[in-house]
Amino acid sequence: MSADTIPVTFDVYRFQPGKDATPRFQRYTLDLTPHTPVLTGLLRIRDEIDPSLGLRYSCRSAICGSCAMQVNSKSRLACETQVGPEVELHGRIVVEPMLNQPVVRDLVVDQSPFWREYQKIEPHLKVDPRRPMPVGKVTPMTPAQVDRFQGTPRCIACAACYSACPAVGSDPAFPGPMALAKLYRFAVDPRDAARQDRLVRIQTEGLWLCLRCHLCTEACPKDVRPSERIRDLKEMAIAVQGATEHGSKHAVGFKRNIREGGTLNEMKLVRQTYGIFGMLPQLPYGLKIWRKKPEVARRPPPIEGREELEGIYRELDREGER
Amino acid sequence: MKLAYYPGCVAKESGRELDLSTRWVCQALGIELAEFPKFSCCGSGFIDEANELLSIAINARNLAIAEAAGLDLMTVCSTCQGMLSLAKLRMEDPAVRAKVDATLKPLGINYRGTSKVTHLLRVLVEDVGLEAIRAKVKRPLAGLKVGAFYGCHLLRPADEMDWESPEEPHAFENLLSALGAEPVLYRGRVMCCGFPIQFVKAETAGRIAGRQILDAKDHGADAMATPCPLCHISLDAYQRPAAKLVGRPLDMPVFHLPQLVALAFGASPKDLGFSRHMVSPEAALAKLAPSAR
Repeated sequence: MSADTIPVTFDVYRFQPGKDATPRFQRYTLDLTPHTPVLTGLLRIRDEIDPSLGLRYSCRSAICGSCAMQVNSKSRLACETQVGPEVELHGRIVVEPMLNQPVVRDLVVDQSPFWREYQKIEPHLKVDPRRPMPVGKVTPMTPAQVDRFQGTPRCIACAACYSACPAVGSDPAFPGPMALAKLYRFAVDPRDAARQDRLVRIQTEGLWLCLRCHLCTEACPKDVRPSERIRDLKEMAIAVQGATEHGSKHAVGFKRNIREGGTLNEMKLVRQTYGIFGMLPQLPYGLKIWRKKPEVARRPPPIEGREELEGIYRELDREGER
Repeated sequence: MKLAYYPGCVAKESGRELDLSTRWVCQALGIELAEFPKFSCCGSGFIDEANELLSIAINARNLAIAEAAGLDLMTVCSTCQGMLSLAKLRMEDPAVRAKVDATLKPLGINYRGTSKVTHLLRVLVEDVGLEAIRAKVKRPLAGLKVGAFYGCHLLRPADEMDWESPEEPHAFENLLSALGAEPVLYRGRVMCCGFPIQFVKAETAGRIAGRQILDAKDHGADAMATPCPLCHISLDAYQRPAAKLVGRPLDMPVFHLPQLVALAFGASPKDLGFSRHMVSPEAALAKLAPSAR
């Protein structure tokens, strides 16, 4: 070991479906300088120790988005994750394939579910046929129009967000952070004529299943901030169509609920979300909670200074004007 | 130490055992809690889905109330913490600031952005300090294996919350150790509890909650503890349906953070509102060394 290297222990996920009964972790130890990318370590393992290791990669420069995997439980690009800080934080480097996509072999996953969701949002400009884009000429945008994209065109489709997302892992109806961030990108594009249709469709196609846990924003190597753009989409969807789903009814209901007393009336919110009849299935379990926490059924005393709150609503809540 | 106490909606109503135990702990530590009946709801991540600017303005008003008293604001809820912190951050954008100011000023509300937003967990670990906490422990929670559950909005987005690493936070575990408990490390501790979609799709929310509870259980936790009453609703109040959804019995007692602190400081369990939990913490309390019960 030379003076500027450190011993780095890799515990690498190994699994060949159809051949191996269960996945296992294989340990490799290398001497590496702290700034060595995890990907470089894995390639050295493959080239010098174990040619059977399966992994996907290409550019090694955080551009192509091919080498996303879990490094110490975080979904990220192996090429831009350095070994030094990982060893410092975790003592070793546990490398696993991405989540929410079936394993093909070792660190390689089948990305079909991710791409299917991408395809569903129709990630291309839909131009009004009556106003075709001029051929052979650029259509310039103002800086303000470009700002509205808020970084979403930076996405390299690495699927790290899709892997990190607990909603994807729990409900096939959720399109995932990347597809929604892309949808946002087209919904704010001034050249796109399908904005309204896109926003109406997404209300019923999983938009409200986002947990706003921000794990996608944490995972994204390009700072696309999908969770924040999903929030934007929710507000835009309500603005074009009003509240049609449980999720949007809950958001709008919550907003109205707080206007009344300044503090949450829990029982009323359930009614605002589900309607009187929709509440009925909730009743049996609700009663069990009520027995322990009787306050859920009462209207809380209003805050002081409600007129200030009302003044804020009157100024900023344009709901009634639609 | 004097702080503007922002209990949030749940601790004032259906989660009042959290309020109860927060007051107990702060009194024991000589932290004065200034109360402001003018505080409104933070919007809980729902109002901003319908109208972000409205949500920011409501929270700027909350912050201005603490500022007028010259106090930092303390939350006891990860979501309140997130919403108030984000509002403060968004108010640094001149365009947002101008719009919100134009609404608040005519109402006589002057937002300056001078009050810090902090959470009880941070107050205990950073301001009181673990040494002082240790010195207050009368009955160490020895023998109790506790899985800390942070709640997303206390940690993420990390660049905006500006606190511990959202992958490897330590504050809560360090506090648990100071109380004599044995912290259990598991991946679910920094994951989502499912609460935000409890009213969108209860089955999905339940599966997510169930997964985190199972993770804690499989790592040997006798109990979980959370600094967020919304996580508590998911993990405790809706644990029974979650168990059905994940197909395994869970039986996991879930404590509010200050309940465990109070317990270690010598509070009587009957003063901490345990009877209000859906999952009885009896089994966890029984694990404590006899001297601690």
